[in-house]
Amino acid sequence: MPPLAIRRSAAAHAIARNIGLVLVIFLLLFSIFLYGLIYGLTEGRLPGGFELTSTVNNTMPLVLAAMAQTLVVLTRGLDLSVGGVVDLANALGAISLGATPARMALASAFILLAGAGLGLVNGLLVAYGRLQPILVTLATLSIYQGLAIRILPQPGGAVPEGYTALLTNTTFPAALLYVVLLGLFWTAFRRSQAGIAIVAIGNDEGAAAANGINPLRAKLLAYTLSGFFAAAAGLFLVATATAGDATTGNGYTLTSIVAVVLGGVSLFGGRGSAIGAILGAFVTTMIVNILFFAHIDPLYQSFYEGAFLVIAVVLAEGLGRFVRGRR
Amino acid sequence: MRGVGSLDETWRRALYAFAAAVLLFALGAVVRPGFVRPDSILAVLTVAVFVGLVAAGQTFVILIGGIDLSVPWVLNAAAILLATSSGGSDARAFSALLLTLGMGAAVGAVNGLGIAFLGVPAVVMTLAMNGIMEGLTLGLSGGMTCASCASYAPPAIQALAHGVFLFLPTALWLWLAVIAIVSFILGATVFGRATYAIGTNLRASELAGLRVRATIIALYALSGLAAALAGIMLVGFGGQASLGMGEPFLFQSIAAVVIGGASILGGRGHYLGSVAGAICLVALISVLLAMNMAEYGRSIIYGVIILVLLLLYGRESRES
Repeated sequence: MPPLAIRRSAAAHAIARNIGLVLVIFLLLFSIFLYGLIYGLTEGRLPGGFELTSTVNNTMPLVLAAMAQTLVVLTRGLDLSVGGVVDLANALGAISLGATPARMALASAFILLAGAGLGLVNGLLVAYGRLQPILVTLATLSIYQGLAIRILPQPGGAVPEGYTALLTNTTFPAALLYVVLLGLFWTAFRRSQAGIAIVAIGNDEGAAAANGINPLRAKLLAYTLSGFFAAAAGLFLVATATAGDATTGNGYTLTSIVAVVLGGVSLFGGRGSAIGAILGAFVTTMIVNILFFAHIDPLYQSFYEGAFLVIAVVLAEGLGRFVRGRR
Repeated sequence: MRGVGSLDETWRRALYAFAAAVLLFALGAVVRPGFVRPDSILAVLTVAVFVGLVAAGQTFVILIGGIDLSVPWVLNAAAILLATSSGGSDARAFSALLLTLGMGAAVGAVNGLGIAFLGVPAVVMTLAMNGIMEGLTLGLSGGMTCASCASYAPPAIQALAHGVFLFLPTALWLWLAVIAIVSFILGATVFGRATYAIGTNLRASELAGLRVRATIIALYALSGLAAALAGIMLVGFGGQASLGMGEPFLFQSIAAVVIGGASILGGRGHYLGSVAGAICLVALISVLLAMNMAEYGRSIIYGVIILVLLLLYGRESRES
């Protein structure tokens, strides 16, 4: 008898610890079910491969932006400049991605490095400038958006077809591979020394420092990686749109926060997983899909998204308290 | 002793913000000689009224370590509600005014309820509320295609935004009144004391028997009220409401409060500082416009200046 009781309590413990992840999986399944139901009722058939492919392709920029936001939120920060870096990468991509594969690879590498550099600037200001993350990134958001408009004053530029096909295959949900790779990356990173340091300083910076973690270095790494992933989001965005626009990325600041919150990452730092945030990104896209197929007036779209966000957070809070209380 | 020291520190930061505003006007005078004529100074100050009003609400919630991201669409909804419900007639101006201010306060109170009772983080609650108000505003006005959407603000409200009384624009008189009221509330009432106490230590305030939840709700209601008032003044100033008119005010109101020396973590700050911050920002924009700076350049310089100001006096102490 005892072993069973122990196993059961261990399982309950795991659920209580990962209640955010459990909830976002439930939300995703529920939204997929609702989507299938509404799609079936309005279109007379079930969604198939094409719907899956386009959903995954459309969500990729948000998946990466959510990844970027998670890294900073885990350190008990908030990165408002995510949208600015997406804009900048989008603009740079539109003017620099050439026709040859070598040129594409070179330009992509440069843009990702530039994103990491912009993130590093945020990190330096937060860590060494001792400024509040939300204020630093509010200011750099303005700077990065300005730079993006300078680089690409009018929407335009062109993305080679090969590049679009590589990142967003329209006939096959190949982008799911990237999602899986990101998940694997996170699982490995979370267990690495650097990943542990980032979560630790989000939990308790003083205690982390006392245990030999360098908080400054952990912050620099979190912000640098955040810039890198935000730039990757910009590249996927420009690939999907096949042309550049220096302002379409603005929205990713807010939607990345929404994805992170839906994914169960605590805004108070130290708790949560990028995998939750990635699933949160998919929930966000599914909600838009559901509203579209339910023929909700698009003018009301933000209303439903806002209401859904509050309900999901309240539900997560209540459920978390319930599970913890029962234990 | 530490408390006295930190109080002085906050006032000093507010003074820096005023000094920065004066410096910007001086810079403007160098760029364009007419910049410091009394009438152009008054014009800059009048534009600063809108940011200043929103910043009043933002100050209230930032003092408890909160933030109000719902400002843009509360302001926009208020502007549209005032124009549509009054239909542009003075006869209905007063009831439209009350309705609009009530809407702002009610939306703010809902923010406060979500934060105080449902435990939703302020960033999430007000962000979601911004979306809710955006959807409602767009949906109910049919994307500004409704019959009454083209209504002008009542002449009385337009006169309030444009008029001159005793040598000063009436908008400035209104702002002076708001400054006096907000400073009184924060500095000389039990409510104000409770606000600073909650911002300094929420748990201790609870244990000391302060009505923490009621105070939080009231503060967010005040923020909604301030955003609605700014929306009313803005539609009075411009004549007609438009979609997206609230967008610039989120960034500017937060920046004004922070430039004015308030701590984003709560507990420290004065509305007079935010007032200086608002004047600073608007003076900066005016100088850049006078220099014919392109939009991207303004955006970049804007961010750089805020960073410089933050590095000068917004840094956290090393011990924390």
